[in-house]
Amino acid sequence: MKKAWRLIEALLVTVLMLTIVPQKTSAADKQEARTDNYLRNVKRKGELVMGTSPDFPPYEFVKNVNGKSKVVGMDIEVGKKVARDMGVKLVVRTMDFDSLLVALETGKVDMVISGMDATPKRAQSVDFSRAYYKSGQNLLIRTEDQDKYHDYKSFAGKAIGAQTGSMQATLIKQQAKKSKLKTMDKDNDLVLGLKTHKFDAVAVDKATAEAFAKNTSGIMVIPSGFKVDSAGSAIAFHKGAKSLVKQANKSIAEIKQKDLINQKYLPKAGKYLAGGKSKKENKASNSMWAYKDFFIAGVGYTLFISAISVFFGFLLGAILAFMRLGRNQIARSVATAYIEFVRGTPLMVQLLFIYFGLGLIINIPALLSGIIAVSLNSAAYVAEVIRSGISSIAVGQTEASRSLGLSRTATMRYVIMPQAMKNIWPALGNEFVSLIKESSIVSVIGVKDLIYQSRIVQADTYRGVMPLVITMILYFIITFGLSSLMKVFERKMNHD
Amino acid sequence: MTDKSPVIKVEHLQKSFGNNKVLKDINAEVNEGQVICLIGPSGAGKSTFLRCLNLLDQPSSGKVIFENKELTALSEDQLDQLREKMGMVFQQFNLFPHMSIIENIKLAPMKVKGMSSKDAEAKGLELLRQVGLEDKADAFPASLSGGQQQRVAIARALAMDPEVMLFDEPTSALDPEMVGEVLKVMQDLAQKGMTMVVVTHEMGFAKNVADEVWFMADGYIQEKAAPQQFFTQPQTQRAQDFLARVLEA
Repeated sequence: MKKAWRLIEALLVTVLMLTIVPQKTSAADKQEARTDNYLRNVKRKGELVMGTSPDFPPYEFVKNVNGKSKVVGMDIEVGKKVARDMGVKLVVRTMDFDSLLVALETGKVDMVISGMDATPKRAQSVDFSRAYYKSGQNLLIRTEDQDKYHDYKSFAGKAIGAQTGSMQATLIKQQAKKSKLKTMDKDNDLVLGLKTHKFDAVAVDKATAEAFAKNTSGIMVIPSGFKVDSAGSAIAFHKGAKSLVKQANKSIAEIKQKDLINQKYLPKAGKYLAGGKSKKENKASNSMWAYKDFFIAGVGYTLFISAISVFFGFLLGAILAFMRLGRNQIARSVATAYIEFVRGTPLMVQLLFIYFGLGLIINIPALLSGIIAVSLNSAAYVAEVIRSGISSIAVGQTEASRSLGLSRTATMRYVIMPQAMKNIWPALGNEFVSLIKESSIVSVIGVKDLIYQSRIVQADTYRGVMPLVITMILYFIITFGLSSLMKVFERKMNHD
Repeated sequence: MTDKSPVIKVEHLQKSFGNNKVLKDINAEVNEGQVICLIGPSGAGKSTFLRCLNLLDQPSSGKVIFENKELTALSEDQLDQLREKMGMVFQQFNLFPHMSIIENIKLAPMKVKGMSSKDAEAKGLELLRQVGLEDKADAFPASLSGGQQQRVAIARALAMDPEVMLFDEPTSALDPEMVGEVLKVMQDLAQKGMTMVVVTHEMGFAKNVADEVWFMADGYIQEKAAPQQFFTQPQTQRAQDFLARVLEA
């Protein structure tokens, strides 16, 4: 009998997974069918949504403008130009470079401009515009090593860093075969890795390399020596969105004809990079205090996400726990399957699945996706905490209560739960603390939580370690505060 | 006493746990005001039988009839209503450790019968007085001795005005010097005419208080007899062996 239910549970999980797949293909088919409505749809919306990974100065980066974070850079100017030519407003949505193409495929964004090269491999899944800018490839090295290294060939047996999923990573793999490739998500981390000797060079785009070298002490630019047959940076659109590509190409033709990038866009980005101040003033604004609003906003988001997720996680977790303890065989199997499945898969994947996967059916904003993912994940753990808390109460308590004529519900309410809470409470506190920490994963899809903000401050100040230290301290204050609060209640409960 | 219909009637009761047949075929009747003592070797199914009477254990087959109602056929709600009329006292007392003594006693009258807190309190204090523990009303179970806890457990069951009291080895978990105080309370109860079914190893209690002794072994009631007759002239070989071993010890 037990075996049979195990089997049914396994089946449930499989069915759950399979139901997603057909919906995905049908949604994709639908999108394929209305190919030429892309431009019309954008015009009807009145806005063109651009996806970008803002850690790539001077292409795109985040700047503290009058105390508010703003995505600026050359690509933003290109995006604005394209939007203006379509007669709509530009909306910028930020996320990790890795997530950009998925966001495009799942309709989270209308286009991607992120210093992205139009490689043939990428062109298989998206449609590119003509190139709007062609830059070179450079290596960043530590200034002290300038006599040792000349181009990629000097790095035989040594490690070179590059951004995950970037063209530079591919170049290293294909051409610098004697070197080891180390990838990281963020350019800031790469520069930090270089300075802390994690590797001896970082392969980046020329414009980016120059921006970093100018703003970071102790590193310099050398030629890469890579043979590049790239067509240059281009705008990516959904596969089949020919109407948008055609319209964008018109704008790009004008940009090229008037040399807008070199004449207007790059100088403007450079002004943001320098902060429009002398070098001394620039340094002053790099002090962490100047970015306090970023950290405050980050703490706010982290607390907001955590608080809502704790609430719903607890509610759903309690329901699941009672389903699992109840007599209804079906409810029990559903709850068990859910708990095992959620605990057996990484939160990261669950988050991406909700944001991108379910995004094919309904469009859930990043913040809401983050809250849903963290809540659903936490519920599984809370359910187990509650279940084991209840199971730990001796069966004699239930029997005594039932023999007195108390119903199942009354027994749970007056006899079991008050005792179980004493066991559940400390474990629940631990679960909430780890929820706060794990909520940091939402930064992956661009939710502006504490981690996300610290990334921005890193990018903005060209300082790698200090923002991390501050972030760590802030997380600690939050989690320590929470666990202290839980202990106060715990003590109170034990006194009663 | 016996010409009325029985309070509890058991017909062809069977109970298995997995492949283990604990009760094989039990037929018995308990009449109003009767005190039954169930004795027999451990593993004979005495406790299981008792727990089948108020369906804490669901019988595998057979009937349990209480107040002319067949319990195995009842819904959970109906069962709750009948359970309150069958008080039960456990080997491990099973007081609620998060409640004071008086709260332990008040809980069921208030939540099941809807009695006011004041009435329940008055009743609880009266019952505590009867078991000699009125000064412990506000203490918590953990601060009481085993004998005191068991007396509270009896008072708690009595607070529901049960028609039958079921005792599941009420003195087995007690230190020897505390057995007496609990048996005394039970004896008082029997004298007041309470119908009682008692699983016990206290042969003295069975001899002096019981109206009938049921000897159980191997999943059957092997012998039913008045205590005088059972302890002097047991009919079955199993009972003779059992008594020889028990009385020798």
